[in-house]
Amino acid sequence: MRSNVASRSASASHEDDMILRYTLGERLNHWFGALTYAYLLITGLAFWSPYFFWLAALVGGGSTARFWHPWFGLAFSASLFWMFKDWRQDMRVDNSDRAWGRVISNYIRNEDDKLPPTTRFNYGQKLFFWGMCYSVILLLLSGVALWYTEALPWSLRYVRYTAILIHASVAFITIGLFLIHVYMSAILEKGSLASMIHGKVTAAWAWTFHRIWYDDLRGASRSKQ
Amino acid sequence: MSQAVTEIVRISGHAGPAPGAGLNREFHVCKLVDTTTCIGCKACEVACLEWNGYPFTETTFDNTYQTMPETAWNYWNLIKFNEHEREDGSTMLLMRKDQCMHCEDPGCLAACPADGAIVQYANGIVDFQEAHCIGCGYCITGCPFNIPKFSPAAHKVFKCTLCSDRVTQGLEPACIKACPTGCLHFGTKPEMKELAETRAKQLREHSGFADAGVYDPPGVGGTHVIYVLHDAKNPELYGGLPKDPHVPISVRLWKGPLKWIGNLALLGGLVGMAFHYMRYGPKKEQEIPADDGRRP
Amino acid sequence: MTNGWIDIKNTDMMLIMGGNPAENHPCGFKWAMEAKRNRNAKLISVDPRFTRTSATADLYVQIRAGTDIAFLGGLIRYAIENDRIAKEYLVNYTNAAFIVKEGFKLPDDGLYSGFDSATATYDKSTWNYEQGGDMSGKAAGVAKSAAAHGGTSAPPSLPPNVAYDLTLQHPRCVFQLLKQQYSRYTPDVVERITGIPQAQFVKAADLFTSVRKDGDMKKVATIIYAVGWTQHTFGTQIIRTAAMIQLLLGNVGRAGGGVNALRGHSNIQGATDMAGLYDSLPGYLKAPIPTDTDLATYLKRITPAESKPTPWGSMNYWSNTPKFVVSLLKALYGDAAKKENEFAFNYIPRADRDYSWTHIWDDMYNGKVKGMFAFGMNGVMIGPDTNKNINALKKADWLVVGEIYPDETSEFWKAPGITPDEQRTINTTVYRLPCAGFAEKDGSMTNSARWVTWKFAAVPPPGEARLDQDIVAQIFLRVRDLYKKEGGKFPDPILNLSWAYADSIHPPLPQVAMEINGKALADLTDPVTKQVIKAGQQLPGFAWLKDDGTTMCGNWIYSGMWTEAGAQIQRRGTEDPSGLGVYPNWAWSWPANRRVLYNRASCNLDGKPWDPERKQVWWNEAAAKWAGNDVPDFKPDSNPKDHLGPFIMNPEGVGRLFAPIGVLADGPFPEHYEPMESPTKNILHPEQSNNPLVKRFKTPFDKLGTPEEYSIVCTTYRLTEHYHYWTKNNPVNVQLIPEPFVEIPVELADEKGIRGTDKIKVISARGTYIAKAFVTRRLKPMMIDGKKVYQIGLPIHQGFRGIAEDEGRDARTPANLLTPSVTDPNAHTPESKGFLVKIEKA
Repeated sequence: MRSNVASRSASASHEDDMILRYTLGERLNHWFGALTYAYLLITGLAFWSPYFFWLAALVGGGSTARFWHPWFGLAFSASLFWMFKDWRQDMRVDNSDRAWGRVISNYIRNEDDKLPPTTRFNYGQKLFFWGMCYSVILLLLSGVALWYTEALPWSLRYVRYTAILIHASVAFITIGLFLIHVYMSAILEKGSLASMIHGKVTAAWAWTFHRIWYDDLRGASRSKQ
Repeated sequence: MSQAVTEIVRISGHAGPAPGAGLNREFHVCKLVDTTTCIGCKACEVACLEWNGYPFTETTFDNTYQTMPETAWNYWNLIKFNEHEREDGSTMLLMRKDQCMHCEDPGCLAACPADGAIVQYANGIVDFQEAHCIGCGYCITGCPFNIPKFSPAAHKVFKCTLCSDRVTQGLEPACIKACPTGCLHFGTKPEMKELAETRAKQLREHSGFADAGVYDPPGVGGTHVIYVLHDAKNPELYGGLPKDPHVPISVRLWKGPLKWIGNLALLGGLVGMAFHYMRYGPKKEQEIPADDGRRP
Repeated sequence: MTNGWIDIKNTDMMLIMGGNPAENHPCGFKWAMEAKRNRNAKLISVDPRFTRTSATADLYVQIRAGTDIAFLGGLIRYAIENDRIAKEYLVNYTNAAFIVKEGFKLPDDGLYSGFDSATATYDKSTWNYEQGGDMSGKAAGVAKSAAAHGGTSAPPSLPPNVAYDLTLQHPRCVFQLLKQQYSRYTPDVVERITGIPQAQFVKAADLFTSVRKDGDMKKVATIIYAVGWTQHTFGTQIIRTAAMIQLLLGNVGRAGGGVNALRGHSNIQGATDMAGLYDSLPGYLKAPIPTDTDLATYLKRITPAESKPTPWGSMNYWSNTPKFVVSLLKALYGDAAKKENEFAFNYIPRADRDYSWTHIWDDMYNGKVKGMFAFGMNGVMIGPDTNKNINALKKADWLVVGEIYPDETSEFWKAPGITPDEQRTINTTVYRLPCAGFAEKDGSMTNSARWVTWKFAAVPPPGEARLDQDIVAQIFLRVRDLYKKEGGKFPDPILNLSWAYADSIHPPLPQVAMEINGKALADLTDPVTKQVIKAGQQLPGFAWLKDDGTTMCGNWIYSGMWTEAGAQIQRRGTEDPSGLGVYPNWAWSWPANRRVLYNRASCNLDGKPWDPERKQVWWNEAAAKWAGNDVPDFKPDSNPKDHLGPFIMNPEGVGRLFAPIGVLADGPFPEHYEPMESPTKNILHPEQSNNPLVKRFKTPFDKLGTPEEYSIVCTTYRLTEHYHYWTKNNPVNVQLIPEPFVEIPVELADEKGIRGTDKIKVISARGTYIAKAFVTRRLKPMMIDGKKVYQIGLPIHQGFRGIAEDEGRDARTPANLLTPSVTDPNAHTPESKGFLVKIEKA
């Protein structure tokens, strides 16, 4: 639904050759999620390993970090839930995605022209999205168990044992996803970061990386002619 | 600890090196709890409470003499009572003083993420440093004996210190001092081990407790609190003393392989990305070809 | 205690019965644990309830409350049957060989000879020894006592020349009578009375008497008890049974032996020593009675003459009674006590009837006692039948309570069930005086081991609190002033009371202690050593006491505690050269710093210790003197050849298996009687189920329940977490045990549908107690003569004032609402252990 709105907005502003990729709400939510995640990452890494414990000092010390980490976790989950609401349609994985996945090595080698065209989000982005969604569910469940770990009776100690493994492992998965996400959007793919700031991409960008989406936006009006 | 205070390294007006200086005189302390001579008087509970300055908290009668179901953040020493019927129909009232076991391989310390919040002294005492505790509660998960307890008010975790403050000054822990029957002993680990084994042997040979033995679980590297039990084959009878305690396997995984795999993955990922960027460079948008036709 | 706390470490065998030292004397119980650890000593715990003492026992035996004599009688029978007795000891150190008067009858029907049913008293003239010398091998009944049915006015006295049979074969010798008396206490009878299965009883009896296996005299057994034995209508007799067992087995006077009463307060021994009972004066001197018209009559009545086999010796230390009495009178009345006025003997009130605890309250209820001073005790809580006592206080004009907390006694009018309307009708004026607590005052304490130990005040009393002696002094001085001004019927005892303290308003306790120790009032010279004590000097011991008014002494047994050499009771020497735990230089023990009483009996006839490993005293042939690690409790130069009896306080010089004439009111041998409230008839003599001497009060509160209505046996006890009725004001103790509870067997709980922590009512014929149920396996149903009987128990600590009580966390009912006002005829102790109740869900 949202993408349609975006498409319409995009067609309305084609004069300056820019296409609206993310609405203001999407962008705000993204950055809300990004910041909360960053906090979780810093504090989580501090709890993870003595080599990162100094990170806690950046956010007010260990106790403060321990206090806010669960609350930020909740906030991040809320943000992700919002993304889920916004994007779950556009994130549907279909056969063309799988085909894209099979030649992902081309994508890695920046030979994007040797890839099948993609919709608003490519298969990699979708995997990232769903990876995050499922991870957050697991992090949330295990996180609550760790949040009030003292409230769990001794007879339920195995919940603690499980939670601690799940929380750490899944957090690591998200870190991996996050790093790739940041690398790709902020460093690798020129224009991505900007699109999350002012919301717009160039038509060329859209054509290059999300051709079906581009075509949908452009072609929709032409096919009516 | 205590000998660190009293060990002499220099002597005034003394020719040559100070006698004994440089010798390693560190020893491991140990508390021996002989459950077979415990009378459940709770003097140790009160001594612990008073030495550590914790105030009265309300309790409720729960069909037992036991003061509360388990130790609390402000109640580190608790005698656990269990009515046990032996196979011959005779009754036993098992009483075991529960407190931190001061493991040689402490699960709490392994699990703790906060720099310096849990320390293990050379004498074997595992001590929580309140100032450094961040209240994450990972130690609760790491402990196989259900000892560290979280204070909702302080947002920190507390447990028995084996009176490290007293031991440093050459005193015995407060509970030992208060014990009226000599069921509690304090000394070096080898001394206590020998005393415990002697008592266990006596119980086997003279009191008809064929399975009497010493509880010093190897799963946690041995403990600095050891028990003499009438029935060492069934430590669970003594208020749930674990038969073969280990630091939970998940904590081991989490703090062991997982940590290194994670850290390596992290590093590998960063290096990989850098390599990728150098090798392939940025993805750039391409000009939309003219023959695309769809371009207005 | 005949022995002492530390001495328990020397034992090989402990029978702990009628007491729960692990919980109530945890510090002293250390020595029981030492004996177990260091000597492999065995511990037998006999109790209605599996206690924390039982938890450390080698053998636990569950007994029906109040059947201790049946158990112990069975033990006597077992020891005799299996020849586990100390022959040499028995013949020479006890009255086993003494021949009892013809006409003495054993209580096959529950009554000894001489019972008068009209007055419910005994004519004890047949409870006596025959006179006539050695009867060994002679036929019975040769010598007839002329005085057997002679004049009735003079109380019977012991014959000086006792008939005896050292072969112990004479049918009327004490040993044969003893054997006959307890032949009825077979394991089967023991089982039917006590509920202890025969096999278990035999196991316990075999274990305990194993110390005399094959006649070996080396090992020693001790018997340890507390108020679980005293609080019965036959309590004194239970303790006597224990003493008899110890004499039979030769355990008295020996390290690790004896009969050891564990006192329930830090200084209850001191209270008893200083005449805690109405019928004694300090130092266990008998109080005068109305027939003691003058000092000579009184002294004649209370001073025993020796009574023994002619060839034997008897020190008969009580023959010094006149010295103790006159010195006491001098201490009490100073210069007013003169030879001319019989040392003011007539100032001493006469005990014309029973003034013991339950009588005080009964008299108050009946309007005879108008007011009460209650110091250092919580009268409403401690005695039986709380309801009666509260109703008695309602009738009093005034009540003065000296306490450190607002207690139930001073707030008796706030007891549960008294409405505000009723409160307005109570006219008793209550004066509450804040007193100093134990850490706020100095003074001495006498522990169970008879050690008199001085303590110093740690902190001053807070606020307006005052020292007890200051309060008492002020009251005394003002009363004296009133007598001075206004005169009175008999002002002399008050006006002439010696009050020679440096500060009469604040009598310093060291001066009181020195007064109790005694001093010379004239220059004294020892005829043998020529040692001189100058007038005004402290006496070194009671051997210096005189009956001519030249010495004064407040309590003869305490003489020696504060001498010219200083306060012996402040000594803190930790030397123990013998390793027997004697610690002769730690504090001071009465009498004469002896740590084990009758320690001459620790040696055989030749004066050699039964066990060379545990040498207490011994005869030093070279020095012709008794020497020892302890102070010999004996005539120091008495050659063993003289056969002087080791039990120097008895006129016989030997221990009493048979208690002749007036020693006990209810029989020379203990006999099993049922508690006044019992689930069963006495199977030995159903027609005489109870102690025939027990008297009952007549107020509407003095009801007894029937087993038909109240079928459960109930007993009361203390917990290690609390101390009587005051720790319920201390947060830490309240945290340890926050609320009252009732321990009930699982089977009974199932029957009644009660689960742990459910609130239940315990109902006796006298009152209802409400608390939470503690469902436990440590109390089991018992089979009593074929009938299933449940026992329950409840701690006494909580009442209607305290932390939990004030917060409304419990029902505020005192435990003694349930107990009856019936008492032991000898010690007047009420029967709080073993009464009948029923229970229901509240």
